[in-house]
Amino acid sequence: MSQAAPPRVLVVGLGNPDRGDDGVGVLLATRLADSLPDGVGLLTGGRDVLSLIDDWAGYDVMLALDAAAPMGHPGRVHRLTSSGEWPVETQAPLSGHALGLFEALALARTLHLPVPHSVVIFAIEAADLTPGAPLSPAVAAAMPGMVERVVDEVARRAART
Amino acid sequence: MTTKRLSVDYLARVEGEGALDLEIEGDRVAAARLRIFEPPRLFEALLRGRGYVETPDIVARICGICPIAYQMSAAHALEDAFGIRVEGQLRALRRLIYCGEWIESHALHVVMLHAPDFLGYPDAMRMAADHRDIVRQGLEVKKVGNEVLRVLGGREIHPVNVRVGGFYRLPTRRELAGLADRLERAHELAVGLVRLVATLPFPDVERDYELVALRHPDEYPFNEGRLVSSRGIDIDIADFDTTFAERQVPHSTALHSHVRERGAYLVGPLARYGLNFDRLPAEVQALAREAGLGPRCLNPYRSIVVRALEVVFACQEALRIIAAYEPPEAAAVEVVPRAGEGIGCTEAPRGICWHRYETAADGTIRTARIVPPTSQNQPSIEADIAAVAGSVLDQPDEVIRDRCARSIRNHDPCISCSAHALRLRVRRR
Repeated sequence: MSQAAPPRVLVVGLGNPDRGDDGVGVLLATRLADSLPDGVGLLTGGRDVLSLIDDWAGYDVMLALDAAAPMGHPGRVHRLTSSGEWPVETQAPLSGHALGLFEALALARTLHLPVPHSVVIFAIEAADLTPGAPLSPAVAAAMPGMVERVVDEVARRAART
Repeated sequence: MTTKRLSVDYLARVEGEGALDLEIEGDRVAAARLRIFEPPRLFEALLRGRGYVETPDIVARICGICPIAYQMSAAHALEDAFGIRVEGQLRALRRLIYCGEWIESHALHVVMLHAPDFLGYPDAMRMAADHRDIVRQGLEVKKVGNEVLRVLGGREIHPVNVRVGGFYRLPTRRELAGLADRLERAHELAVGLVRLVATLPFPDVERDYELVALRHPDEYPFNEGRLVSSRGIDIDIADFDTTFAERQVPHSTALHSHVRERGAYLVGPLARYGLNFDRLPAEVQALAREAGLGPRCLNPYRSIVVRALEVVFACQEALRIIAAYEPPEAAAVEVVPRAGEGIGCTEAPRGICWHRYETAADGTIRTARIVPPTSQNQPSIEADIAAVAGSVLDQPDEVIRDRCARSIRNHDPCISCSAHALRLRVRRR
C-alpha cells in the first residue's frame, strides 16, 4: 500500500485486582473503556499471558499497564519503551505459573509470530500488595493522571503514520 | 562408606515451588524426598463458615491451570450433600468445560514443560528456536482449550460461571458453533502432536504402579464413576477413606496418600488411560496403537504421548457435545440446601481430585476436605526418583540431578495445588 494505514494500538491491563496495588493496571484498563477511540483494542485482564501472543497479532503498538514492585515512591509512574528486545530477566526455565510479558514477547519473536513493533509499558509503583486490599492512597491518586496520559499516548500513536 | 547428599533447590518446569533431596549411601539410594515447601494454603480451614454458593469460586483459586477440576469436584460434592443430580445438557456442558481444561493443561505440559526433556533443552524458550513448529502447534491447541473455558466459564483463569446445580449463564448455540471450528483445527493439530511425540527417544522403563482412576460404565471419565485400581480396588467414591489414607511427612506441606493395605499409587493420565482404554473412541484407540502404546502404559516417560492422546480425545468429545447441544430451559437445577455430607471426585488433568464437605441446614460449609492429585502422587514420584537415581549413581551429580528432575516432570506435578514444590539435594554417605 502506498498510503500507510494508521498504526493499530492495543491497550492491555496486567495484574491481579485481588492483590491490592497489583490490580492497578487492570483497574486503569477498565476505566479507559469509554475514553479510547474506536479501533483501539482493549484487554482488561483476567487472562493467560500466553494468550497475549495471539491477542496482540495485528497490532502495531501495544501499551501495557501494570504495577511495578515497590521502590519507595508509591504511585510513581515509570514509562518504559522498546522497539527492540526486552530483557528476559529470568533465564530460569519456565512453568505455566511463572510466565510474564517479557517471556511471552521473547517466545513470540523466537517463534516468528507477529509482535507489535512498538511496546510501551506504564508501570506504576505499588505500595501494598496485600490480598483483598484496595488500592493504596498514593496509587489511587495516580489513576486520574494515568487515564489522561494513556489517552494522550494512544492519540499520538494512532495519529502517527 | 561415602555419603553424599544431592539437591535441586528449585525444580524447573513444574507448576509451583518444590525441591528434591537425595541421600546416597555408598552404592545405594538411602532416601529420595520430594520436598514441597510452599506454605500451606489452608483452603480447607478458610472454607469453614462460607456459603455453598461461593464455594466453587473459592476452590477455583487453588489452581490457575486446573480451576475447573476444583470447581467440578466441589459442585458435585455439594450436590451430593443436597440430594441433587445434574443431568442432560447441563451434565454435557460440564464435560465440555472439563475438555477445555484438559486441552489447555495438557498442551502446555506436553510442549512447554515436558518436550524439552526429550529434545535436550533446558526450557521451551530455547527449544522453540530449533523446534518452532511443535511449540507453535502446542500453543495453538492450548489457546483453543482456553477459548472453551472463556466461552463456558466466563474467563480463562479462575472461571466464574460454574455453580452448584449447573451454570450461571448458558452458552448460545452460536457461541459453541464458533468453538467447533477451532476445535476441529485443534483436533487435527493434536493428532499431529501425538504422532510427533511418539517419535521422541524414551528410556526403556516400566514402573510397577498401582493405577487409580475413576471408571464410568460407558464414558472416558471426567466427573463421575467408581474409584478403581489396577490391583482390584473398586469402590464408591464415598468410601475413599476406607481404602486410602493421608499421612503427614516432615518434608512436605502436602499430605502423602497411600492405599491402606499396600502403599503408593498413581493417579493421572497413565492411570486414567490404563484403566479406561476400552472407553476411548475407536479412532483414539487406533491412534494410540499407531503411537506404539498398548492398552496400558507403565513407562512414565511415555506419559507425554498419553497426554497428547487425551488432548485428541478431549477435542473429539467436545465436538460431539457441541454437535448434540440443545440449550436447556434453565442454566441450573433448583438448589435447596440442607444439612448433610457430600462427596465429589472428578478427573483433574493430573488425576483424581477428591472433595468432601459437611454442610449446615442453610448450606454453610461446616467442614471441607480436599485431596488434590499431586499430593496423592508424591510417594510414587519419590519411588520413581529412587529407582532412576539408583541406576545412574556412577554418573556425575549433574546427570543424577537431571534424571531425577525428569522423573518428577513425567508426572506434571502441580505443587501449588498440593501444598497444603522443587529444589534437588543429593547426599552421599
